[in-house]
Amino acid sequence: MTRTSNTTVAIVLAVATAAGAAAAQAGSLDNLERERAVLVAALLDPEITSAERIELVTRARPRLVDLERMVLRDDSLVGRTTPQVRRAFENYDLTFLVHSGAERNLSEIDTWLDQLGINSEAALAAEIRRR
Amino acid sequence: MTTSQALPTRAPALTAWLRHSTAAAALLGASLAAAPAPAQDLVASAPPAAAEPGTHWRPQASERLVRLSPEYLKRRIDHDFAGSGLGQALRQNGERIAHKGNTLADLQAAIERADGELRIELRHQFLAEKRAYLQLMSDQIEMRRREAETRLSLYDDMLGALSRDKAAMTPDRQALVDKQMEARQRMASTLSTVDLQVFASPGVPESRYATKYAENMGAIEQLVNRMREHDMNRSVTADGEELTKEEFIRRMASKAQGDLALLDQEVTILGYMAKLIALDAMELSERATDPELSDAALSTDSGPAEAVNFFLRN
Repeated sequence: MTRTSNTTVAIVLAVATAAGAAAAQAGSLDNLERERAVLVAALLDPEITSAERIELVTRARPRLVDLERMVLRDDSLVGRTTPQVRRAFENYDLTFLVHSGAERNLSEIDTWLDQLGINSEAALAAEIRRR
Repeated sequence: MTTSQALPTRAPALTAWLRHSTAAAALLGASLAAAPAPAQDLVASAPPAAAEPGTHWRPQASERLVRLSPEYLKRRIDHDFAGSGLGQALRQNGERIAHKGNTLADLQAAIERADGELRIELRHQFLAEKRAYLQLMSDQIEMRRREAETRLSLYDDMLGALSRDKAAMTPDRQALVDKQMEARQRMASTLSTVDLQVFASPGVPESRYATKYAENMGAIEQLVNRMREHDMNRSVTADGEELTKEEFIRRMASKAQGDLALLDQEVTILGYMAKLIALDAMELSERATDPELSDAALSTDSGPAEAVNFFLRN
């Protein structure tokens, strides 16, 4: 489990770094993705304690709510067929974590992992083997 | 005889025909030479307005023009035309035509009251004034044609701009827009739930963005309602049916096309008028050169019975 979580964190950090590097403009969607990546990284960080994690999430959540609403209300994104915008609106639950979690009464991390297909059933069915 | 030639149907050609029709000019010239010189103020005609410099109208189908409301769009175009060189020339020429009409009416009344040499002279003047009237009317038609063609071109450009906006909405783009609208509605349905979960916790400050957003939305709604009720933003209707901007512009283009067709008909009318002037000029010329055709009391082949009245009174 430790190896899996380390791998997951590495993937998340790689995605966050790639997203940060690719951000040429500070648009509303860019800001949202940046904040979301920071939140997910914090949720998956094994180095921090639960109390610190809870505090981080509590501080980040209101900011994320505002950013999600800004993106959803941003008229400049309507009909803008860039890969980033298409991807963002392809999966509402993955992009707008806080709103989706509130709808389904799940935490942000549970929502995110569920969207990636990482849930209890998948973890229990996973096999440790050489590939 | 030029009167037997086919009459031109376009105003510029008709104008040239009026100016250069040799028979008509010669006949008028001959009949005028036979009579005393008419008063200058009755014969002088205005210079052709269509040839004046600056009689142009060049509107542009700008992005701003296309976005105007239908009712204001028409007023804006009409106002632009009225201030242009062509619009002013058209108005001035219309005033000259109105004055010329008064002159023709006065001359016609005078001819009915006159007799003998004076009547012939007045008929000459009448012919000259009718020729001048035709010239003015020909110029008027040509300017109205230019106005209608310019309007048609402008409306075509505006329709092109509107259809370019529409064509940009591809199926893929439309699918994305649908997803975005769906996402907005989904967010709207969870607003209160999220606020309760996130901002109701003690120690979590109220979102400044949320507060300001709500204030601004209130102001926007008031402004939008006011715009909807504004006189200049009334939607245009025709036969009880509300027209979109595209439909309104298409109707204006149809009207301009109709105006062009009617102008062709008016040129035909002018053509027949010109022909009649030429025939009248021929008749006047023959009466002036052949005393037998003048308004004589007795015809050349009259018998003594027709002169009885001369011998019954002393």
